[in-house]
Amino acid sequence: MRFAKLRQVMLLCSVLPNLVLGAYPDMQDEIAAQPKAADLHYFTPRDLSRIPNDAFGDKVRKGYELFVDTQQLKGRYVGNTLNCTNCHLDAGTKAYAAPMWAAYLAYPAFRKKDNRVSNFAERIQGCFNYSMNGKAPAIGSPELVAMSAYSYWLLMGGLLDMYGMRDKPVPELNDARLQLGGRDDSFVLPGPLTGQVKLAGREHMPGRAFAALQEPTQPASPLRGKQVYAQHCAVCHGEQGQGRLMAGVPVIPALWGPESYNWGAGMHRVNTAATFIFENMPLGKGVQLDVQQAWDVAAFMNSRERPQDPRFDGDLSRTTKAFHGSDQGYYGKTVDGAPLGSQAFPAGIQP
Amino acid sequence: MRLVRKAAVLLIVGVVGTVCAQEMPREAQPCVACHGEHGMGTAKGPMLAGLSKEYIYAQIGHFISGGRSNIQMTPMAQGYTDPQLREPVAAYFAAQGKQPQLQLRGQRQPKSLAEQLYYQGDPTRDIPACFSCHGPAAVGGGPFPRLAGQQADYLGAQLVAWQKGERSGDPDNMMGTIAKRLNGKDIQALASYLSSIR
Repeated sequence: MRFAKLRQVMLLCSVLPNLVLGAYPDMQDEIAAQPKAADLHYFTPRDLSRIPNDAFGDKVRKGYELFVDTQQLKGRYVGNTLNCTNCHLDAGTKAYAAPMWAAYLAYPAFRKKDNRVSNFAERIQGCFNYSMNGKAPAIGSPELVAMSAYSYWLLMGGLLDMYGMRDKPVPELNDARLQLGGRDDSFVLPGPLTGQVKLAGREHMPGRAFAALQEPTQPASPLRGKQVYAQHCAVCHGEQGQGRLMAGVPVIPALWGPESYNWGAGMHRVNTAATFIFENMPLGKGVQLDVQQAWDVAAFMNSRERPQDPRFDGDLSRTTKAFHGSDQGYYGKTVDGAPLGSQAFPAGIQP
Repeated sequence: MRLVRKAAVLLIVGVVGTVCAQEMPREAQPCVACHGEHGMGTAKGPMLAGLSKEYIYAQIGHFISGGRSNIQMTPMAQGYTDPQLREPVAAYFAAQGKQPQLQLRGQRQPKSLAEQLYYQGDPTRDIPACFSCHGPAAVGGGPFPRLAGQQADYLGAQLVAWQKGERSGDPDNMMGTIAKRLNGKDIQALASYLSSIR
């Protein structure tokens, strides 16, 4: 039964990511949303209490800590008030909230525009530069090793459990291998899993990225979205999308403004935000808004100013053309008088 | 003379920042019988100290509208339909109490079922971490109540009330939805854990 499920998981294919071309390394390339499979038992990672008490386990635990409290890197690698788990829900374990167990298998991935392959840790660097409006830690840094180790452990522990090997520890990988990602040719399954799990198509595990959302009946409207926001979102995320601190600690994420993701982050795209919102909001009670409302509110929050795209070269129309020509976002477009991006907040960590 | 000294001590305590020495407004006096002098709670009523102003204000409204109901509180709340009466009450109790020692997500490995639910949730049951809305050490804020140090019996009863649909008024019924995924053991564990946070 479970074997069949996993085969299904591993063999399922979908459209390859549609890569956008540009001159600057863009780690926030759009990943095609996945058609949501009904009644599928998604992948279940191991409970965190089973992280081993050894040096490898320490890296995994550190990765988890960074996922849920990314703010410990504020000012060093992080420029806003967000934490990874704000989008990668349930500490990066929730299906269709960009779970790390699936992302791990999707890298390294070839990028047409650089004509090269980006590995898993490089993809996380993209998150720091754009989603966290910060400055990425270096490859080989304890942070990237830890976050890679955590993602790998989620995946491998879940696979072993799925095949009845609950007692088998997750095989250790060295730091370099950890950062490569599970789609690398050198990635091997532990002995007993060989031959049982097919690795072909591994980059398309169901639950990966975000679930595909129907197109709206009417074009997404920031104006209608403003009403949806006021009715359903503002109570938690704030009238100005500023999120919420409790005792000085960021708890509820900022959706726009200086403390949110910048114009280069994947979430600035209306389609990406719409599917995330539809599937996951409000927290713990996903699929509450209808399809049109999800698109409209995504259009509203993504047509407010946020930190500048770090690839901005001083010319808004040139930057728009180079990096936002084909995305479903508002960068460079005029919504309330001025083109978005013309009054953006500073990109990156501010002193 | 004694009174002066007492006041001075209170003032110093206020400056130190643990207890706000704000004088109790007249409007809050009827609350004291059940909620205690600084809103610390009694056998007859839960703790109000440290709940956000916004939350206290909204709850009185829910007792007025029937979204919440309680044999004592429902009639009491009817006297506070006027925002000018309700506002000072909410502000006063919000400023009482002391902030618990903060604990962040991922700061330590959970030592109990309740701590695990609070800081990690249970993805297998679609229960998000309580932290996501109630914050570090359950301090709460805005529409989300502080849970730290609240009476365990009260917390347990509220979670059951959410489950049964006897309590409402939260944003989009988020709490009502999540409460239904908790079992009796979770509720007992959470109530006792949260009440012990100092």
